[in-house]
Amino acid sequence: MRTIHMRVAAVGVGVLSTIAAVGALGGQQFPSAPPAPLAMRPAQFPPFQQAVLSNGMQLVVVSNARLPILSVSLAFKAGNFYEPAEKTGLADMVAALVTKGAGSRDAEAVAATIEGVGGTLLAAAGADFMTVDAGVLSENAPLAFELLADAVIRPAFAEKEIEIYRTQALSALQLEQSQADAIASRAFARELYGAHPYGRRPTEATVKGITRADLLAFQKAWLQPRGALLVLAGDITLARARTLAEAAFGKWTGAPSTMSVAAAPPRARTASEIVLVHRPGSVQSNIIVGNLTWPAGDPRHFASVIANKVLGAGTDGRLFVILREEKGWTYGSQSALTRYKGQGYFSATAEVRTEVTDSSLTEMLKQIRRIGTELVPQKEFTDAKSAYVGRFPRDIETAAQVAGQVTNARLLGLPANYVQTLGANLAAVTRTSAQAAARAAMRADQSLIVVVGDGTKLYDKLKAIAPVRIVRVDGQPMSADDLTVKAVALDLAMDRLVPRTDSLGVFVQGNAFGFQRGVLERSGDGWKYTDDTQLGPIIQQHTEVTFGADLAMRQVVQSGKAQGMEMKIDVAYGGGRAKGSATTPQPTGGVKTIQVDAELPAGAVDDNAVAALLPAFKWAAGAKFPVTVFQSGKGAPTTVTLSVTGEESVTVPAGTFAAWKIDMAGSEQPVQFWVEKAAPYRLLKIALVGQPVEMRRMK
Amino acid sequence: MLGSRTRVLLGAACAATTLGAQARPAVGGADVPVRRGIAIDRSVLPNGLTLQLVEDHSSQVVAVSLWFDVGSRDEVKGKTGFAHLFEHMMFQGSTNVKKGEHSQLIERAGGSDNANTQYDITRYYAVVPSNRINLVLWLEAERLRTLAVTPENLKNQIEAVKEERRLRVDNQPYGTAIWESTLAMSDPNTCFGYAHSLIGSMDDLNASSVDDVKAFFQRYYAPNNGTLTIVGDINKAEVKWLVSEYFGAIPRQPAPPRMTCEQKFNTGAIETKVNDDKATLPAVIVQYRVPATGHADTPALDLLTSILGAGESSRFNRILAREAKVALGSQLFLNPFGPRRGPGQWLALGIANQGVTPEALRDRMILEIEKVAKDGVTPAELERAKNQYRASKVNERQTAFSLTEVIQHATFYLGGPESVNTDLDRYAAVTMDDIKRVATAYFRRDNSQTITIVPGGK
Repeated sequence: MRTIHMRVAAVGVGVLSTIAAVGALGGQQFPSAPPAPLAMRPAQFPPFQQAVLSNGMQLVVVSNARLPILSVSLAFKAGNFYEPAEKTGLADMVAALVTKGAGSRDAEAVAATIEGVGGTLLAAAGADFMTVDAGVLSENAPLAFELLADAVIRPAFAEKEIEIYRTQALSALQLEQSQADAIASRAFARELYGAHPYGRRPTEATVKGITRADLLAFQKAWLQPRGALLVLAGDITLARARTLAEAAFGKWTGAPSTMSVAAAPPRARTASEIVLVHRPGSVQSNIIVGNLTWPAGDPRHFASVIANKVLGAGTDGRLFVILREEKGWTYGSQSALTRYKGQGYFSATAEVRTEVTDSSLTEMLKQIRRIGTELVPQKEFTDAKSAYVGRFPRDIETAAQVAGQVTNARLLGLPANYVQTLGANLAAVTRTSAQAAARAAMRADQSLIVVVGDGTKLYDKLKAIAPVRIVRVDGQPMSADDLTVKAVALDLAMDRLVPRTDSLGVFVQGNAFGFQRGVLERSGDGWKYTDDTQLGPIIQQHTEVTFGADLAMRQVVQSGKAQGMEMKIDVAYGGGRAKGSATTPQPTGGVKTIQVDAELPAGAVDDNAVAALLPAFKWAAGAKFPVTVFQSGKGAPTTVTLSVTGEESVTVPAGTFAAWKIDMAGSEQPVQFWVEKAAPYRLLKIALVGQPVEMRRMK
Repeated sequence: MLGSRTRVLLGAACAATTLGAQARPAVGGADVPVRRGIAIDRSVLPNGLTLQLVEDHSSQVVAVSLWFDVGSRDEVKGKTGFAHLFEHMMFQGSTNVKKGEHSQLIERAGGSDNANTQYDITRYYAVVPSNRINLVLWLEAERLRTLAVTPENLKNQIEAVKEERRLRVDNQPYGTAIWESTLAMSDPNTCFGYAHSLIGSMDDLNASSVDDVKAFFQRYYAPNNGTLTIVGDINKAEVKWLVSEYFGAIPRQPAPPRMTCEQKFNTGAIETKVNDDKATLPAVIVQYRVPATGHADTPALDLLTSILGAGESSRFNRILAREAKVALGSQLFLNPFGPRRGPGQWLALGIANQGVTPEALRDRMILEIEKVAKDGVTPAELERAKNQYRASKVNERQTAFSLTEVIQHATFYLGGPESVNTDLDRYAAVTMDDIKRVATAYFRRDNSQTITIVPGGK
């Protein structure tokens, strides 16, 4: 048995012409250990040919006629790095829109054309580069070139498509704000890179501010043929590639802008720092630990990649095995090295239960320290290398993969034979070089640590690990004091609080859409405020809030439907607590049910009752009133601020009035109110900031 | 005043949505069939294991795919969920391999592996650099020979299956509707195999014994019930030798009983309403019964599914999403849980756009589906679908793994592995009349089920 195995290993992959019909092994001869690897011929990367077109475009062709497939990739130095700071997201929008109408075709025609031949056309912007990729059967090569050329030379940037994209981008941003891992990534990038372009992420303001003129300016500056890279992989020869490229791009001339991009070098930390992003009520924490590394091309790359595999790549990594399998603290933890043309970074992540956040972070730092100070044991090291070296053939199986590998290496400015020598370079890494690279690339004691979670539970424990700076989800600084939602005494002109009815019509984009009626009446020794709202077929809602003469909340009950789905709130206030349940609409649509059982700060007002009290605030120019609001639908308190931001004459169906304009900030949907300056201080108008929605007082 | 949540919903509801535009027909290339026959070397070991080999040295990768002719359709009342449970058990270790070590060894070799249970088959596959073919073959034979079916392994895999059920069905929006409500189209008395959920009942699993599971293994995981297909940088003679060495001594078992399914079509429309507290938006599923995967009508149905649902130029995207704006998104499936050698299922899932009731969405979906029987499709649409199919057939030959699965599919569902070389012709031959005919035959109200999913508690 042993003999047979050794024979196989010695001969390797070759024809064993002397094999007779060998009888099958008996059970007792079945090998009890996995067989050793057979010999492997050296990794073969297909040869490639290069040319430069008359207009300065660089052409690389990796021919492979095995299948009639062609993958075309056109790349430019036109990534996020080149965006003006106030237009972050511009490169992504350009990339999204170049395939949504160009030349003589609108967006639908482009889709119909490429899908009509069973092909793909996709553009994307990364930190440094923008690529436009087409995949077709090789018989459609001319069409691929035509669509690519149209996309980059004559994109339509139709206003309709711009607005469709903008809406989707804004929705995605809004969704991100409710996702802890996205909040963590954003904070990490910002804190790591500072003012450098690599640290920026699109915001609502930057996405809203991008105009068609901006798109054209970006295209003109950065999508130019000189220096652009056109890579073809698959069923095409160099000669045919040149012919098609010259036909599609030959008349296109120009060079990218020579304007230098302001990129303040990010500062490397000399000591670890924790940035705690406070997310009240969070039951989990998202941790990212990391630091800056080096630009692409650094010779320590290969050794650091192997070290990272040992530390945190996949289910075999130390972070996964320890934090998940051994300790049960997390569903998964991993680490990664991100490579940019400029300075890249190392990061280790974990999503853990709040209670074990400090333990998890301590363990992560310990493992990061360990990989740079201890040699990896031989077997663990061999396994990591073999996993990396072994997977290389799988990464170059398809034409698109080959095109991607070549494009990536060229764009990052790596040596010409980078792809061909990748396997050998990884194989040459030693335990010593891996340890040295890890010490340089993964710095536990000079790291940025971002933790997104419930600051009230985390702050003290994290302080024991490293200095902590607290910020809000939007990045604004907070002090430790701010962590607790304080009770704020309401100072109202109580004589202005009288039984009344407010009838407002709801208008969307100027069209009547429904009504909202609020009735304030006495109820026993206190008050009852009833709100009835009808918004087209979408929402019908009936809410009753009762509170005492001292404005202490008693109860809120709400029932209704949103898009046919039941909504319900039933929360009782008393003894310093809010208790009950709430089934409410969510920002992304639909409803969710939660149990409410929370501390109620003194002076808190149910969010449905704020409108009841508006006439009684002592409005004056420049006045600012913090109000503790209990969001019964969310089951948590928050502090909103009502600020008088102007005095205006406002005209509504009920008439024309001199009004205070009041901005309410601090809740998910910012709102503006207009309240009559003169008695009886009626509520005249409500506007949802950023939405074409207004409620206007009716006669 | 509106609570903060309501204000946010209102704002989102009023955000601009997409506007439509007329699509223009695609301009495709000549319909030249892809003629590049694949040579498949087929042999059967004395113990019944079928071996299919394709030698291809264009890359240094080998894919190994082992399909067993058993799926949830073979489960009987009181013993559902075994096929899927078994898939889990196969990774729990054997005499010479520790729990979880199977995948670990493959990953450390630079490979990847996985498994998948369907209605008709269960498959196990791995892709490795070509010098580790021996490792994969040894691992596959090792677990077939001495899989550790112990009370402890059984107990903790039942827990893992429960967890998977929670993740994929219970906690996934529309999960219950997709996995369970759609079963109503199969008659549990005459076609129990397709009338119960793939993931099985927790009661049945909890009641299962080690002996039950061992018996299932012995009967269905026999070499004569398996087909091993290997594609890539191999030497055929050497692989045959290795397979014989490792698998040859595993004894053959009696041929397992085959499930039969007698299922009537056109038995009357079924209406189902489901409340789903994980869903955030209302949704609608419209389902029809269709014939077995190998049936002559499948190519036409496949192309029609593409015309209705594949890509931005599909009817559902253009009309339901962009023009009428009733759907936020949609997905169409022909046999989402795997191909079948019995009656299959065709589903359209639509998610309602803000402000649209599920009834309005449902009516529009059915209108678009039934339009095909009335008016057929355009020549441009049919040509586009054929081009998409042809491109996908060429693309799937790029990797060793996709080729193993194509060959296995042909073996189990299309009458034999050599069909990979002729399958494209069936699709090229589909006419506009064929499309209209299958739409008329199968997309009928009395052959349908409509499931309306409304978010919220029960």
